[in-house]
Amino acid sequence: MSIKSVRRRIRARTRRQLYSFFSSLGSLLGHRLGTLMTVLVLGIAMALPLGLYVTLHNLRDLDLKQDEWGTITVFLNDEVTEAGAVEFARKVNQRLDASAVMISPDQGMEEFRKVSGFGQALDLFEENPLPWTLLVTPQAADSEELGARVTVLAAWIEEQEAVDIVQVDHKWMRRLSGLIGLGDALVTVLSVMFSLAVVVVVANTIRLDVGNRAEEIQVLSLIGADDSFIRQPFLYTGFWYGLLGALLALVLLSVSIFYLNRPLEQLLNAYGKSFELDGLGGLRVVFVLLAGGALGLCGAWVSVERYLRQLRVGGLPGRS
Amino acid sequence: MITFEHVSKRYPGAANALLDINFHLDAGEMVFLTGHSGAGKSTLLRLILLLEQATRGQVLVDGRNLSKTSPRLTPQVRQHIGMIFQDHKLLSDKTVFDNVSLPLIIAGMRYADIKKRVRAALDKVGLLSKEKSWPLTLSGGEQQRVGIARAIVGMPPILLADEPTGNLDPQLSRELFSLFQQLNEHGVTVMVASHDLSLIRAMGQRVLVLSGGRLIDDIPAAVSAAAVS
Ligand SMILES: Nc1ncnc2c1ncn2[C@@H]1O[C@H](COP(=O)(O)OP(=O)(O)OP(=O)(O)O)[C@@H](O)[C@H]1O
Ligand SMILES: [Mg+2]
Repeated sequence: MSIKSVRRRIRARTRRQLYSFFSSLGSLLGHRLGTLMTVLVLGIAMALPLGLYVTLHNLRDLDLKQDEWGTITVFLNDEVTEAGAVEFARKVNQRLDASAVMISPDQGMEEFRKVSGFGQALDLFEENPLPWTLLVTPQAADSEELGARVTVLAAWIEEQEAVDIVQVDHKWMRRLSGLIGLGDALVTVLSVMFSLAVVVVVANTIRLDVGNRAEEIQVLSLIGADDSFIRQPFLYTGFWYGLLGALLALVLLSVSIFYLNRPLEQLLNAYGKSFELDGLGGLRVVFVLLAGGALGLCGAWVSVERYLRQLRVGGLPGRS
Repeated sequence: MITFEHVSKRYPGAANALLDINFHLDAGEMVFLTGHSGAGKSTLLRLILLLEQATRGQVLVDGRNLSKTSPRLTPQVRQHIGMIFQDHKLLSDKTVFDNVSLPLIIAGMRYADIKKRVRAALDKVGLLSKEKSWPLTLSGGEQQRVGIARAIVGMPPILLADEPTGNLDPQLSRELFSLFQQLNEHGVTVMVASHDLSLIRAMGQRVLVLSGGRLIDDIPAAVSAAAVS
């Protein structure tokens, strides 16, 4: 076979691909309502796992700001004076795995006044009822280690004479990280299930499509079209369905994020956190679109293959 | 070009549609296939197009033994044959132009060439003005001619026709047969199944006569032509 004839073949194949490409677009646009409904179903199916994924992603971001969540608040006994508090803070700071910040009763009152909004009412107290307070922060590389450190540190502090009450936030944090772990598993399960759903939905749509165009397939085969020529437009159609579904899912997601951002910000502000909801980054968006397209392609393939096999076994229906 | 050797065809649960058929058709020959309804004309053509497999014997097309050809190569065999079907087999959701262009699209031809060739083929069957029409808006005869244009547009070396004049008036039928003759003069091997005995006689070509699935007569062109004059 000469190079020239190889080149001619490649060119012919490219033209056939182009034809299939445009004919698939044509058939999608030809059945606008049907296409829209399929894409809608696919979009919603894909938005669910994506939404959960994004939620978890954001929660994990929270988790990473662990130094704040892991802080131990230590209220010292009423009798402890400033000197006693300094002494205790020094003791904590001597430990390699922790550092303490002191808050005097006056500072505490000031802060409380701001946050609580009681304002003047607090002036009714003849003397400041707040004790000296320490914010103790353990040093740790990750949340796992932090959890352990906090536990040890809290136990040690609790034993100290000067200490009245120890408040630890890390239980909450641990629960959160447990939930995130569960959520990760859930994302995997949902992704698998909804991917399957996407394949099935596309397969079914293409099956109907193939059924509607049985006559066309038969005629094409009579005038010498091979399986791949018959298959191509349907594969493209499946790919489009998947891609459009993924696109819609991403749009739904962005709208949801936009809508949720404000109330969430308010909620987190109440915790004293500033926070910005993250969407999906550029590379992930591309991945989602391609994955959608690939799933659609799979669905189409399953249906068309099944039909072509039937055709081969049963022979061409109708005689001339 | 086309050779049948002891070919029998039996449809499941039916009597033999073809029984021990033997004939040979040279490249560039033209032959008419005739016989009563149910004689097996369509079946014989379907064997050549690989729409059916012979139950016994061998069919050879262009030196290729069809019963030993893998199903993967069926499209190749069909691409070398232009077939005109008794029921046209046009696609109703494609225009006349698009219908006729299908074999060329399958071949992966350039669009500019497709356009030229399709126009030329439509011109040959006198339907150039209808290129943008939909098949269902055409008369039966016009649809038949679209089918003919589609069969010849790829310039296949073999042309098969199953009752191509079924819906045509005598004038058009004659024109069509002379179109076949013209293609044959350009080297195309032509096989036409038809009931139209008077028209067949007038052509003075070789005639194969089928009856009850048997080949009962094979009239050479010379004899046929002598009968005309
Ligand atoms: N798919 C089939 N299944 C069973 N029997 C069939 C099938 N196709 C054709 N036959 C039988 O085979 C015989 C030959 O049929 P065929 O269609 O070849 O005849 P024909 O010569 O083309 O007739 P006509 O001139 O009416 O088109 C007939 O008896 C027919 O009933
Ligand atoms: Mg017939």
